[in-house]
Amino acid sequence: MVVQNIDKKRFLSAGDSGIIVLFDDLSADDAIVAARYLGQIVRQCPDEFIGVRDAIPGLNNLLIQYDPLRVSAAVLQGAVMARLDSITLSGGGNIKHWQLPICYGGEYGLDLDDVAAATKLSSDTVISLHLGNVLTVAIMGFLPGLGYLKGVDERLYLPRKSNPRQHVPALSLGIAMDQSVIYPMPSPGGWNLIGRTPVRLFDPSRDVPVLFSPGDQVSFTAVESAEYLRLDRAAAGGEAIISPMPEMPLKGQKP
Amino acid sequence: MTRQLQIITAGPHASVQDFGRCGFQSLGVPEGGVLDRGAMRLANRLVGNREDAAVIEVCLGGLTIMLTAPARVALTGTKNGVLTIQNDESVNAAQMPMLEVPANRSVTLGAGRIIRLGITADTNTAVIAISGGVVMPMLYGSAATSPTAMIGGMEGRLLRDGDILPLGDNNNGDMELNPELAVDVGDMFSNPEQLRVVMGPQDDRFPEKTLKTFLTSEFKVTLALNRMGMRLDGATLNHLENADILSDGIVTGTVQVPGDGNPIILMADHQTTGGYTKIATVISTDLPALSRLRPGCGVRFNAVTVAEAEALAHASEAAMLALFAKIKPASALMDTGALYQLGDTT
Repeated sequence: MVVQNIDKKRFLSAGDSGIIVLFDDLSADDAIVAARYLGQIVRQCPDEFIGVRDAIPGLNNLLIQYDPLRVSAAVLQGAVMARLDSITLSGGGNIKHWQLPICYGGEYGLDLDDVAAATKLSSDTVISLHLGNVLTVAIMGFLPGLGYLKGVDERLYLPRKSNPRQHVPALSLGIAMDQSVIYPMPSPGGWNLIGRTPVRLFDPSRDVPVLFSPGDQVSFTAVESAEYLRLDRAAAGGEAIISPMPEMPLKGQKP
Repeated sequence: MTRQLQIITAGPHASVQDFGRCGFQSLGVPEGGVLDRGAMRLANRLVGNREDAAVIEVCLGGLTIMLTAPARVALTGTKNGVLTIQNDESVNAAQMPMLEVPANRSVTLGAGRIIRLGITADTNTAVIAISGGVVMPMLYGSAATSPTAMIGGMEGRLLRDGDILPLGDNNNGDMELNPELAVDVGDMFSNPEQLRVVMGPQDDRFPEKTLKTFLTSEFKVTLALNRMGMRLDGATLNHLENADILSDGIVTGTVQVPGDGNPIILMADHQTTGGYTKIATVISTDLPALSRLRPGCGVRFNAVTVAEAEALAHASEAAMLALFAKIKPASALMDTGALYQLGDTT
C-alpha cells in the first residue's frame, strides 16, 4: 500500500512496524548507495529517528523497522523526508577492501567446468575474468555475513542453477547474473560454484563476527589447494588470515 | 551444584529463545526471537524473572525436562496446556504423576523433578520459563536460536535429547515463602478467527481480483510450517506479471507470494531480505495469534490501515499490562501423587 499524505513515490508500508523508502527514481547503482547511506544515518541518529529498531538496505530501497509503541509511520516518514536532501552518493565512508584467497575449480568449485561450457570460455579464462574485477558489497542478506557482490565481468553472466543444491559447503564461491556470493555457512543454494575461500565470513567468536559491511570492496587472488588447506587450518585455529586494505578507486564504477 | 536443566525428550521443535537480536539485519543477521512475545513476558513474570530472560519455546509440544536444582517453572502461550510433574523417570512415576500444573501459573519444584509437556492441542507454540532463565552465550545481544543461520541458543540448533541448559540465579529468594503466582488469561491465548493485515508493500503487483480473493477466501495452514515461515493452501494468488522484485528487507508477518501463487507468511526466523512480491503484512498485534495456528487451521485476512494497526498495537500493550497487573498469588495445587499414595493405603 502506498502511504498517504507523503510524496507517494517514496514510501511503501510493511505493516505497522516497517516503512520502505524507495529510490526507484535513481539509477540501479545510485539507488544502492543512497539506500545504504540513508540506512547509516538512521542507525547512527537515534535521537532523530526515535523508535527505530533497524534499517535494512535493499537493491533500490531501505526498509526501516520501528516500534509502533514508540513512533508512528507518519512521524517516521517526516524524519526521513527531513533527511533526504542530505543524502549524497559519495557519502558513507569507512569502506574497506577485502582481498580473499580463492581455490578455484576441482572439488572446491564443482560447477567451474559447466560455467566454462555455458559461457564458451576456457576454465582458465573464467578464473582470470573473475579475478580481474573488484566487486562491491551491494547488499547483505540470506545468511549472516552473506554479501551480494556486484560487478562480475559480463562475459560470465549466467542464471542461477535451475536445480538448487540442497547442501552447499561453507565458504563456497558462486556466481550468477552480475554477482558473486560466498556462503558463510553450509546452506541450500542455487549459485554456480566456482571456488572456495578459507576466510571465515562469519565467526560468532570474533569481536566483529561479520567480515563484510555493505559498500565494502572485494577482490580475489587464486591459490593452489595446498595453500588453501594451509590457510584453512590457520583460519580454523582462529587466526585472521587476511586484513582489510584501504578503499581503492574503481574504474568506471560509483563508490 | 550448578543450576541447570536437562532435556530428556526434546520433541520436534523446541529451542532457546528470547526477544531476538535487533539492529544487525543489514549484515544478514536475522532478528529471530520468540514467536509469542506476550507469552514469554508473562511466563517470565510468573517465575519472577525479568521479562527478557531466555525461555524454552516449544512448537508442537512433546518436551520433557529434568531440573537439577530447585526452580520455579511456568507454562504460557496456551490456555489449556498442562505440565505433568513426575518424581523421577520411572514408568511408575509416569503413570502416577505427582502434580498436574495448569498453564499460566508458576509452580515451585525440587531438584530431580521431571516436567513433561504433551501435545498442546490449542496452540502450535508454547513457552516454558524457568526461574533464573536459561543462560546461553550472547550473540549480538541475544541468546535466541536461529537454526537456519546456525546462531544462538544451543550450538545454533533446535534442542536435542540430552542437552544440558545452564540456568541463571534464582531471583525468588526463599521459594518456600514466596507465593507461586497465577493469572486468568481470559482469551489472550485463544485461536484467532482472522489475521489483520496492512496491504502491501507490493499489493500493486496484483490485479484487483487477486486482492479481493486474498481478503475473502479461507486459507489452510499446511504442514510446511516452522520458525521461518508458514505455507498456506487455498486460492491461487495470481500476479499482474511476475513475482520478482528488486530485493528488499522483510518484516515478520510478511505475506510473501512467490511465482506459484501460494502465500507464505514469514515468521521470526525469516531471511533478512527477499526478492518476491509481498501482498500484505500481518499487524504486530496479531503475530502471537499467528504463531498459535497449527497445520490444518483455517485462516482469513482482514485489511486495516497503518494508523488503525498502530492504535491496535497501543491497545494491545495496554491490555497486556492490565493483565500483568492481575497476576496474584496462586491457589495451592492438588498433589495427585499424594492422592495415589492415600489410595494405596486404604
